[in-house]
Amino acid sequence: LLQDVQKHSVHTLVFRSLKRTHDMFVADHAKAVALDDESHKLKLAVKLKADYSPVLHMPVLKEGKDRMSQYPDADDPEYLITGTHAYPSGPGVALTADTKVHRNPSESGIHSLALALPPSQLLLEGGGTRNSNLLRRTPVMPKPQWHPPWKLFRVISGHLGWVRSIAVEPGNQWFVTGSADRTIKIWDLASGKLKLSLTGHISTVRGVAVSSRSPYLFSCGEDKQVKCWDLEYNKVIRHYHGHLSAVYDLDLHPTIDVLMTCSRDATARVWDIRTKANVHTLTGHTNTVATVRCQAAEPQVITGSHDSTIRLWDLIAGKTRATLTNHKKSVRTLVMHPRQYTFASGSADNIKQWMFPDGNFIQNLSGHNAIINTLAVNSDGVLVSGADNGTIHMWDWRTGYNFQRIHAAVQPGSLDSESGIFACVFDHSESRLITAEADKTIKVYKEDETATEESHPVNWKPEILKRKRY
Amino acid sequence: MLLRLVISTLHRAAGSGDQPWVLPPLLALHAYPHFQGQIHAEQQQNNYLPAPTQLSQDQLEAEERIRTQKSYSTALVASRKEPPPYGHRKGWVPRAFEDFGDGGAFPEIHVAQFPLEMGRKKKTSNALAVQVDAEGKIKYDAIARQGQAKDKVIYSKYTDLLPKEVLNEDASGLQKPDEEAVEELTEKTRAALQKQVSQKIAAAMPVRAADKLAPAQYIRYTPSQQGVAFNSGAKQRVIRMVEMQKDPMEPPRFKINKKIPRGPPSPPAPVMHSPSRKMTVKEQQEWKIPPCISNWKNAKGYTIPLDKRLAADGRGLQTVHINENFAKLAEALYIADRKAREAVEMRAQVEKKIAQKEKEKKEEKLRDLAQKAREQRAGIKNQHDKGDEDAEAGERDMIRHDKRKERQHNRNISRAAPDKRSKLQRDQDRDISELIALGKPNPRISNEAQYDQRLFNQNKGMDSGFAGGEDETYNVYDQPFHGARDMASNIYRPSKNIDKDTYADDFDSLMRHNSGFMFGMIFGRLKVEHGLLRTKSSLVPIMDRGEKARSSLRRILSVWTNSWSRPSSTAAPKGRPPATAPKTTTMTRNAGRSESASHSTG
Repeated sequence: LLQDVQKHSVHTLVFRSLKRTHDMFVADHAKAVALDDESHKLKLAVKLKADYSPVLHMPVLKEGKDRMSQYPDADDPEYLITGTHAYPSGPGVALTADTKVHRNPSESGIHSLALALPPSQLLLEGGGTRNSNLLRRTPVMPKPQWHPPWKLFRVISGHLGWVRSIAVEPGNQWFVTGSADRTIKIWDLASGKLKLSLTGHISTVRGVAVSSRSPYLFSCGEDKQVKCWDLEYNKVIRHYHGHLSAVYDLDLHPTIDVLMTCSRDATARVWDIRTKANVHTLTGHTNTVATVRCQAAEPQVITGSHDSTIRLWDLIAGKTRATLTNHKKSVRTLVMHPRQYTFASGSADNIKQWMFPDGNFIQNLSGHNAIINTLAVNSDGVLVSGADNGTIHMWDWRTGYNFQRIHAAVQPGSLDSESGIFACVFDHSESRLITAEADKTIKVYKEDETATEESHPVNWKPEILKRKRY
Repeated sequence: MLLRLVISTLHRAAGSGDQPWVLPPLLALHAYPHFQGQIHAEQQQNNYLPAPTQLSQDQLEAEERIRTQKSYSTALVASRKEPPPYGHRKGWVPRAFEDFGDGGAFPEIHVAQFPLEMGRKKKTSNALAVQVDAEGKIKYDAIARQGQAKDKVIYSKYTDLLPKEVLNEDASGLQKPDEEAVEELTEKTRAALQKQVSQKIAAAMPVRAADKLAPAQYIRYTPSQQGVAFNSGAKQRVIRMVEMQKDPMEPPRFKINKKIPRGPPSPPAPVMHSPSRKMTVKEQQEWKIPPCISNWKNAKGYTIPLDKRLAADGRGLQTVHINENFAKLAEALYIADRKAREAVEMRAQVEKKIAQKEKEKKEEKLRDLAQKAREQRAGIKNQHDKGDEDAEAGERDMIRHDKRKERQHNRNISRAAPDKRSKLQRDQDRDISELIALGKPNPRISNEAQYDQRLFNQNKGMDSGFAGGEDETYNVYDQPFHGARDMASNIYRPSKNIDKDTYADDFDSLMRHNSGFMFGMIFGRLKVEHGLLRTKSSLVPIMDRGEKARSSLRRILSVWTNSWSRPSSTAAPKGRPPATAPKTTTMTRNAGRSESASHSTG
């Protein structure tokens, strides 16, 4: 009685079902007549005119349309696939090719989301008027200023270790370098000849500064020492004792006789130069403070730290004025613009520009994918960033346009891995760029006089604007 | 149910525009084609028509439905809870505020109860009160500002993250503050820092000027109770108020050497960056730093593969370059070697020849001797030989006599004193070859291992320590090595003949025989020259009162001469008085000591 049922694959069965369904409905007389496009259009036009003629002239609101496409689907081209899935799939969600990739919302997606959400949920400042402003004004990159390219002019070899720090004398006659060979050397700026070697540190010299108010040279090193040298006698005349660990950087206040140092003990200290008293200990960072900068206007001290924050300090009270947490990696360098009331900070993820006095974020200069050790800027608006792998990028300060990239060869006899820029500085005439490098040399760059705007054009288009927030 | 699902799907598909929608055939129903026309028309109209300002009834209903879905927890269930009536309270436990109604606890229920929240521990919440801004919007950044100073800048908004538009160089926001403002700020800062510095320095200064006292104040005091009985009858008094003088050297009254614990850190600033990306496998591999392999140190004793060892060796890194001087040296050595060999060979040949000649000469000599012997045998004996034989015989007789005498002696001893014999025999064996110096440390060399005697005859062993576990008594080195008596007397006792070396034998006799008068005379005479006493062999400073004490002078002399005689005694041969000229040089060298010596006696 039992008949053998022939076994088919599911695929075949599905197709058969499909076919059967088609057969069933293909000759369905109860089905409505198919829509004729032309007649339908005509019908609509008539209906519109008859029923809705009073409102037809009114504009079509944008919100109404936007509401439909508020939540873009996964196939939206604005969504980028950037990496593997960050989270485990939820219960009931199968791990398919679609769900196993992790999608990051794109820039415009976030914008649209931010604008669609009510303002109270978004913490937008200024309310709705601001929103529409943001929406309407698409940022357009202005044309960057043309700068002549820089070329290597001189290589000074004399140190026996990494050259870690540079400072140019206020008179612009000589400059001073501190090195891992525990010496401080003074070089003639014009000829590049060694003028003087100062010994006294017992570990790497991490920072040097020449005072413009006194004949003093200040140096700090990994031996926890901060020294004050009298350049009339070439002797150490003062020690600023107090740091608990290696001192990484120092700076002088331009108008008051105080000295700022920052250290691996997560503090920056303010010293009175004459009495050697520790006026303030600026605590708050949670990791090595890598750099400290000083200016006469508020905020008078800024520090960048390996806890990836920048702090602006109130020197009078010795307290933090603002903490900038936008960086994701440790901040190794800070530089202040010589003319504008702005500064820039260099980190392994980005270079960021900020406004004084509160540290409002201006923009990112991204593209230098290395650990940035040093920044320098001249009043022409040329920003130089030197990195640990020996690359130097030159940027236009205002627009963040990267107009030159340099990777100078290491001096013969050193390994390739020994190329690295530890410090760079413009001299006071701003015609020379001096860099301190890991191949134990000091390199001097100057502008290429033969270059013109035609020979080295700016690669710029008005619509290009790629700016990242983070 | 199924039908509704299909409809909602259709609605969505229609709403999202001209997307082609396909249904699985198994779900396709007869009812479905009826919707098509209507939906299509709606969709088409939407494109042309402005959005309606008033919503239709079904749209309103739909929105309502959505809203109720959204507000999940806002539904108010206004049901008043009351304790269940008597008889229905089995298993019921009053916990909430309402369970008690207006009354108190239920004593029949044996559970801790808190009617009207009485007796319950207060729970304080650290939640912030909601704050609103001028427009009535909630300030969500209040939580970020909590605990921070008022003037602190805190970024917490989305817009703080956005890049600013590119400004011109001369935009107002980018200008530095003017010089006046900067100068003002500088002055303010300088004053503040100066204050700080002066405080810090004052604490470190060793000497401080006493604080200046404030000027005296005069207060006119009129008592409220007037009269003769009060206030000594005076109507008014003038009171002079003076600040009490402070002792600048007074130690601080409060202990300030305690370390004050640091206050809590300021709350963290809001993080204004995206979370860090997860590390990809490639990056992780890039961070893998190979362990350091040394050919010299392997403290943990790991097994290191041979290829790693070779890589660590660094031998493959540099090309082999051999100095050509090695080749030169090898060549030179080879030549030298060959030459040396030739020379040796030559010398050997020469020696051989010489040896040959020597041999011939010897043979010749032997031949001569044999010839001579043959001739002698034939000739007469010499005279000297007889005398020799007599001497030999005499010698033999002597020996014989001695032996006999000894035998007799032994016999006598054995016969006469048997008890003495043993002593004699014992003394015979005694070794008197080593001369034993009495009272001197005897560096006896013994082959046996030496043991600490205290360790013997102890039943506890070494652990128990010395002196039977008495740690306190220290008797290892508490005695001097040798009794102070012997040692000191041996080392530091002046021997009689020390002086003899330097001032001949007659010094003592001179001292003994000459009277005080003689001393005075000699000293007085010698005083004239250089103020130095010149005796037979030495120079001595002169005393005016030479006759005062002969013994003290003797002591001076010995101190004096000891002071300078040591270096010169090594230079000059012993026993002979040193010459005068070198002695003056030693004098000047020891001038300081001689002065002190003379001073002590004078």
